This record gives sequence, structure tokens and C-alpha cells, in this order.
Amino acid sequence: MNELALELKDLVKDFDGKMAVDQISFTARKGEILGLLGPNGAGKTTTIRMIMNIIAPDQGTIEILGRPFSEKIKDKIGYLPEERGLYRKMKVMDILVFLGELKGLRAEVVRARGRRLLKQFDLDRYEQKKVEELSKGMAQKLQIITTILHEPELLILDEPFSGLDPLNIELVTRILLEKKKEGVAIILSTHLMEYAEKIVDSVVMIDRGRKVLDGKLTQIKAQYGNKFIRIEYEGDGTFMAGLDYVKSHKDYGREMEIELIDLADKNRLLQEVSSRVSLNAFQLTEPSLQHIFIRKVNEGVPA
Amino acid sequence: MKLIAIIKKEYREIVRKKSFIISTVLTPLIMAAFMFLPVMLMKMGKGEKTIRVADYSGFIFEQMVKIKKVPANEKNRPERKGVSGNRDYFDNNTGAEGSKLKFVKIVADGLTPAELLNRNIQAIRDKTIDGFLMIPHDVKKDRKLYYYSGNISDFDTNRYIQASIRTVISRQILIEKQIDPEIVNEATRDIDFETIKVKKEGTAKSSAGIEYMMSLFMLAILFSILMGYGQLIMRGVLEEKNSRIIEILISSTGTQHIFYGKIIGIGLAGLTQVAIWFLFALAMVGKFSLGLDSGIMNFLTLEIGIYFVIFFLLGFFMYAILFSIVGAAVNTDQEAQQFAAPISYLLIIPFVMGIMVTQSPNSSVALISSFIPLFTPTLMFMRITVSPPPLAQILAAIVMSLAFISFLAWLGAKIFRIGILMYGKKPTLGEILRWIRYK
Repeated sequence: MNELALELKDLVKDFDGKMAVDQISFTARKGEILGLLGPNGAGKTTTIRMIMNIIAPDQGTIEILGRPFSEKIKDKIGYLPEERGLYRKMKVMDILVFLGELKGLRAEVVRARGRRLLKQFDLDRYEQKKVEELSKGMAQKLQIITTILHEPELLILDEPFSGLDPLNIELVTRILLEKKKEGVAIILSTHLMEYAEKIVDSVVMIDRGRKVLDGKLTQIKAQYGNKFIRIEYEGDGTFMAGLDYVKSHKDYGREMEIELIDLADKNRLLQEVSSRVSLNAFQLTEPSLQHIFIRKVNEGVPA
Repeated sequence: MKLIAIIKKEYREIVRKKSFIISTVLTPLIMAAFMFLPVMLMKMGKGEKTIRVADYSGFIFEQMVKIKKVPANEKNRPERKGVSGNRDYFDNNTGAEGSKLKFVKIVADGLTPAELLNRNIQAIRDKTIDGFLMIPHDVKKDRKLYYYSGNISDFDTNRYIQASIRTVISRQILIEKQIDPEIVNEATRDIDFETIKVKKEGTAKSSAGIEYMMSLFMLAILFSILMGYGQLIMRGVLEEKNSRIIEILISSTGTQHIFYGKIIGIGLAGLTQVAIWFLFALAMVGKFSLGLDSGIMNFLTLEIGIYFVIFFLLGFFMYAILFSIVGAAVNTDQEAQQFAAPISYLLIIPFVMGIMVTQSPNSSVALISSFIPLFTPTLMFMRITVSPPPLAQILAAIVMSLAFISFLAWLGAKIFRIGILMYGKKPTLGEILRWIRYK
């Protein structure tokens, strides 16, 4: 087991009668990516704001890197807020220096590191440009640079992929994996489960302020068994609703995720499907996070 | 360190603004225009006056242009040549150089006195001359002069003519009586007449009009700086709130640092501007002091300068805190303007009261209102400029203001902390007051 980077215990936040966060506990470890997942309004951002000491929890405790929150510890955290914004009139390098100094770095250190990171993110040509001259995607990348500039031990990213094109999503993913290898604990909050699925090591799922699922991704998937079949097809897939041995299915149009009541029925399913539509792929698979999440929410049982 | 980073950022942001550079340059120019304009206007209004003299007495003109009137502050003035027929005189009230009178003797040329008069009246109407002085033959006996001019209310000129001719006649009579010329000179020597305004404490050569204008003028500068920077701070805070960059700031350092760093940074920028103006003013005064009205010179002492900086700082911090609270509490520019309006009224009140304060700076209303912390920076400063109150009162007002600023800063930091993270609807005053109680 890796070293604990973050430990939340029974966190509660009540916004004038509305429970934004209700008894949430979880831990994050160094060298791991934790996916904080849930739909919009589930309480992810409120949880993160409490971790960052932006708002105070009504109950519960938070320990970061083995200690309760302090001003000093802020220098070891990199935080990318959900809603982005930088000083529009400031130059790129000036922003890096300002935010770097706020994290306790010296200006020369920031400049050297900043140049390296700008190059890595393909922004080196914009060093002396004002933020308002950058495109949305570039500003987003700049913001990610400001988050990792001070080489934090704990990275908290709230929806880091929003506003990025596929190329940049890949770039950010690569950087996150690098950081993970360096031993940084990463908390990735997102509602885009298909992205999260590809990189997270463990998962905390939140719905309406309550934790519904918590654990290692591999364990969670195993728990749901190999009762899932993924098909790629062309034709009309509506017949699937009428099959009594299919527990549930999710039709994406050209792809379908099917959950069987009993895996023994898989050959029956193959025959049925191949007679109805033109089949391109038929594969035994793990359930998707999305699927698990929907199941969990429908069950309404907190894990 | 982090506080310094914020101060540095806020300072640079302001100082690099175009509006900062423009107002830094423009204000001294407007100020200079304001200070030099009265003098220039006065000079234009009182240029050289040409007065024709028809002297039927036969002796007055020659004597009159020889009289050297000793100006009140001759010692302070450069040497001047006494050109015959060309007299200077000085306006003792302001000490500034007044108009020059040029007396030109005309001969009758065979014209009757009536024809001569008509011709010169026409010349006055045509503005080729400014006045026509008729000295009758029997002036010594009748003591009667006739002065024709477009402007007969130029008392300085009237007085000069009257006084110098009286002197000439007196001398003539004494000399005819064989009195020793030394004694004659002594007997008819001019009187140095200096006007001194009596103030409650101390005396100074000055005129009340200029003092009032200067006082109001400095108040206007104070007001525009406080309003300008207040708005700047308010918009800055609002921008940070709306762009959510505030979350990054808070996750890097405490709200106290952000709040104080901002106010100190912008305060230093304001001080920089005032310092530039002061240096400019010093340079101007050094170079052109001779051309300046002495009333203004007497007004702009080092003492006033120091008080200006002190009360500027006090006012700045008070209103900066108030405006930053507004910026943190609201969500849009419109809301900000709504909340800022009452603060602006607080700044306007001293203007209205200013008239009363300059007229009776030691009345109890002026006394009390200058101790209300929100008015101290403007009204106490005004009192000092018009009629300095006892030092104890000034110090007490400064101490009270400092205490009030500490209280405001404490209150402001609390409201700022909560307000800056409150998005959505406009808060009510009750809600804002509740924020203060949050821990």
C-alpha cells in the first residue's frame, strides 16, 4: 500500500437545509489516481472546496499528507478549480510568476520551470502574450501548468478535461500518468466516466451528497462479474428489450452493452443477435463505470 | 512573502494601466492651469494702460512722473528702471505685479479744451487709449481733476493718480514757501500700506477667496482619487470573483493576505501617483514661483503637503476597504454600482459641508463633523487648510481614523472571506451582516 496523501472522515456540509455533502469518507494514496465521480451537482466540487479549506465543513475531519489543514500545506497542493479563469490582461509568464510566488517559489525558479512546461504544452510562443489572446483550450492548458508548477505532492483536478480537444486530453492524460509515476497523489473529479475509466486506479462515486461506491477499479469491476457483453453492430437493435434473459442493456446506436442474468446464455444471445443485425464484434467484457454508476444510483444503497 | 507577491502584482497592474499614466500626466497640467490662470487673467485684464494727460497747470505732469512710489515689498523684487513717463505700481493686496500706467502728455495744438476733450473721448471709445486726465489750470487752488476712462472702477489707478497729484501739489506749495527740499521730501514721503488678514491663529498675507478655492480644489483632488481608486479596487475584486481565480488564490494563501495585499498594493500605486505630482509641483514652484500668485504660494506649504499625504492615506484605506467589500459581496457590475452609490454619497457630503467649513472652520458643526471618521480625511483636511485647529485635535482625528480603519479592515476581511465565494443572487444587507458572525 502506498503512503496516505488524503484522508476524509465523515465530512458533512449543509447549505441552509440542503445536504451538499453527507457523511463522506475516503482516502487517496500517493502514486495513485483517484476518480471522484458523480453527476453534476452530486457534491464533488463542495467536497473539493472543503479539502482546499475554501469552505469549512460542518462536521468531519480532513487530513492532508498526514496532517490537518494548514497554510503551510497549501504549497504542497495543486488545485485546478472547476470554473476556470485567469487575469485576462496579464501576460502568460507574469501569471506563472505571480501564482508561483503565491506557492512560495522564487521568481527565477518559476521562470525556468515555466519555460519548460510551456514548451511541453506547446505554449512557448505565447510566453509574452496576454491571456485574453489565448484560445480557450490554450488558457485551459496554461491553467493546468499553474496547477503543477510548484511540483505538488497532492493534485486535485476538478473536471480537467472540459474544454479540451482530443489531442490535448491525451496530453493532459500523459502528464497525469507521469505525475503518478513520480509518486504524486491525484484526485480527478469528473462526470465523464469513460475518460476516468481509462486512467483511474480507484474510484469514489458520489450521488446527491452521499458516497455510493468506493474501491479499487479492478475490484469493483470484478465484483460485477463478467456478465457483460459488448457488441458492435449495424441495424435495428430495439429487439433487445424483448429478451427475457437480458438483465439490462445500453444501446449506443452502433455499439451495445448487454448484461446477462446468467452468463450461460451468451451463445443464445449470439445466435439471436446475428440473426437480427449485421454483427461486427461480439465480446465478453467488464461493466463500464457508467453502467455501474447507474446501477448503484438506482439501487439507492450507499456503499 | 506571499503578501509581497500580491502587493507587487496589484501595484504593477495599476501602474501599467493606461488610465494611470494618463491621469498622472494630466492632473498636474490641469492643476498648473488652475494655479496660473488667475494670475494670467489678472495680467491680461490689467495690461499696460495708456493715459493721456492734458496739463493746463504747467507743472504737474513733470513732477508726477518723477515720483517714485516705494512698493510694499520692494526688497523682494528685482531692480526696476524708473523710466520717465512710465510708472509702475504694485498691488499690495496680492503682492503681484499689477498693471503699468503709461502717462503721455499732450499739447493743446491750438485746440480748445472742449475740442481736446471730445477728441480724447473718441480715442477712449476707439480703445486707442485707456484714459484721459484733464488737469485744470487752477488745480492748486480748486483741487479738482477730471479723469475720463472706459473703466472708472479701477480703483488702483484712480487712487494712484489722485495720490500722486496730491503729493505733487503739496510739494509745490511747500517749495514755493522756501521750505528745505529735504523736509519737503520727508513730509510728502509715501506711506507703505500693507494689508494683513487676521486669522484665528497666526497671521498670513493671503486673500480668503484663493484659500477657499485652493481648499476646495485639493478636496476635489482627494475626492477624485478616492473615488477612482475605490472603483478600481471594486472592479478588480469583482473580476477575481467572477473569473473564479479567487479560488486559486485562496488555495495558495489566506484571504487576509489577499485582502490586505490588494489594498496595500493599490494604495502604494496611489501614493506613487501623488508623489509624482508632488515632485512635479516642487519643480514648478521652483521654476515659476515668481509668476505664481502669492496667495497660492502661501497656501501650498510643506505642512499642507504632509497633511495632504496623511489624510489621503487615511481616506484611501477607509474607502478602499469599503469598495473592496462591495466588490466581494456582489456578482455583477450593476449590483456593484448600486452598492457603491451610498459610499459615493459619503464622499460627496464633505463637499456640501465644505462651504460651511471654510466659512466657519471652528464652528461646532465643523468641529464635530470633522471627527466623524468617514468625513475626517476630507473635512479635517479642509479645516487645516482654512484655519488650522489645535494640533491635539488633528492628532486625535488621525488616531480615531486609524482605529476606525483597523475596525473596517477586520470587518472587511470577514465579509470579503465569505462574500468572495458567494455566487448567485445579490445578498441582502442582513445576509452581509450575518457573514461577519461566521467563523
